Amino acid sequence: MNWPAIRAVMAKDLTAVRRSKAVVLPMLLVPVLLLVVLPLVIGIAARSQDHFDLSRFLDNIPGDLARPILALPQREQLIVLVNGYLLAPLFLIVPLMVSAVLAADAFAGEKERKTLESLLHLPLADRDLFVAKLLTAYVPALLVSWIGFVCFAIVSNTVAWPVMHRIFIPTKLWGVMIFWVAPAVAALGLSVMVRVSARARTSQEANQLGGAVILPLIFLAVGQATGLLLVDIKIAISIGALIWVIALWLCSRGARRFTRDQLATRL
Amino acid sequence: MSAVIEAIGLTRSFATGVALDGLTLDVQPGEVLALLGPNGAGKTTTVRLLNGVLLADSGEARVLGLDPRTDGDEIRRRTGVLTENAGLDERLTARENLLFAARIRGLSSSHAQQRVDELLGRFGMFDRANDQVQGFSTGQRKRLGLARALLHDPEVLFLDEPTSGLDPAATRDVVELIGSLATEHGRTVIVCTHFLSEAGRLAHRMAVLHRGRLQAFGRPDELAATLWDGLEADVDTGAPVDDRTLALLHDVDGVTTAVASASGAHLRVRDRDALAVVVATLVGREVPVYSAIPHTPTLEDVYFAIEEKFT
Repeated sequence: MNWPAIRAVMAKDLTAVRRSKAVVLPMLLVPVLLLVVLPLVIGIAARSQDHFDLSRFLDNIPGDLARPILALPQREQLIVLVNGYLLAPLFLIVPLMVSAVLAADAFAGEKERKTLESLLHLPLADRDLFVAKLLTAYVPALLVSWIGFVCFAIVSNTVAWPVMHRIFIPTKLWGVMIFWVAPAVAALGLSVMVRVSARARTSQEANQLGGAVILPLIFLAVGQATGLLLVDIKIAISIGALIWVIALWLCSRGARRFTRDQLATRL
Repeated sequence: MSAVIEAIGLTRSFATGVALDGLTLDVQPGEVLALLGPNGAGKTTTVRLLNGVLLADSGEARVLGLDPRTDGDEIRRRTGVLTENAGLDERLTARENLLFAARIRGLSSSHAQQRVDELLGRFGMFDRANDQVQGFSTGQRKRLGLARALLHDPEVLFLDEPTSGLDPAATRDVVELIGSLATEHGRTVIVCTHFLSEAGRLAHRMAVLHRGRLQAFGRPDELAATLWDGLEADVDTGAPVDDRTLALLHDVDGVTTAVASASGAHLRVRDRDALAVVVATLVGREVPVYSAIPHTPTLEDVYFAIEEKFT
């Protein structure tokens, strides 16, 4: 591996991305809404109301999961339910979206900007270029997710302190989400975009083609919100493992097709 | 001296058809080769194949003694390529674009900075060094692209339309630069261009491609000899020649055709010696001769004659 060259490609791509509002804004807006604004609103709502009647919702979810929440004082139930359980699958949108947007820019964006040919004429091995492009999308996706989670934990605990009187985030479920499922989901978004970008001519086209990857997460979030599928630690670990398998399989197939000849053929 | 570039039967097809069909040519050290042909002729495919960016379906190539199929990285380390659109990242500054290429090419940080500054100055881009490329004109982009291609002082330079979009002064500078790279620095240059006058000024040999096939390859004068018998010439006698003089010209050995022109006669003669006989004959008959100018076909004449044969 030619690490100096890989770092050079990453630095170039990330500098360029930083200067593109169309790429940066959605990447920041979604994490801010999900991980700062939403817990803030929930915390404020919980503080301003004496109690929320969650009994109808909690009746619909499996007893093993409902019981610990029902055991809490009524004022704490809303905060623990939303910030501790319901937001967890929604949080996965962040690594997925960031990795997918950056991967589309890194792979299909080179074609769109007509910079791919000059890149292919540089002395950079196919494998090094592929790794550089993967890392350009993957590393920021993880960083945004983890930094976003730290912000989420600070906001949630701070706003809910008058109600909770203790630090309740991170939970074990959040730990699994952050360190196991989120990296897998980032890899999934990335690997889907690698495949899609091979055919797409622009990053917008790649985003449209690859957008379907977000559907399973929406099902997961809806399942969580309706009590059809409530993600506990075991389920989260299983889901993470499944996503890792799919992402690695897609990535390895993408790597096989990522050759100069294939890329130049589609110029 | 062995060739810097050798291609034997190089062939490449895409889903849309054959892009290059059995290309065989060689380029000698320090030579400037003009790769000519209309759009879709296979010029860019040739450059990509020789740099190992595309792989040939069949045939062989050697660039600097290396095989593009297996030694692509080493070839690309020693060649510089200016692509048709300069291929610069618009969101980066001029300096950042060059520094990126320098880092990939393994230049140390201090050497890269020094070389980038030197080239920005040489191409008149120093005052725009820290501006993002998105505001640059085509000419500025082209100059920056050329600077990037020269960053590592390559042994072989591939230039795809190096002067398109440049103003006349910049065009002259680039043409002089390419010429000096070959003559003073011994670099080998392959120029793909539609600008035939520049190609004529620069190129030692020309290769004409048409629909992926090499239609002609050689020095312009050699190719002209295969296309036309003899050469054209204008004889200035101060006024159109009369019928008697025209008949006299027809009788001179080595004159193929003779027609009256506004200032004398337009002839096709076997060679320059035949033109000397024409002058001697006219002077002997007391016909005044103010000038006799042979017209050696230019690269442009040769190119269009070849194009005409295949269209």
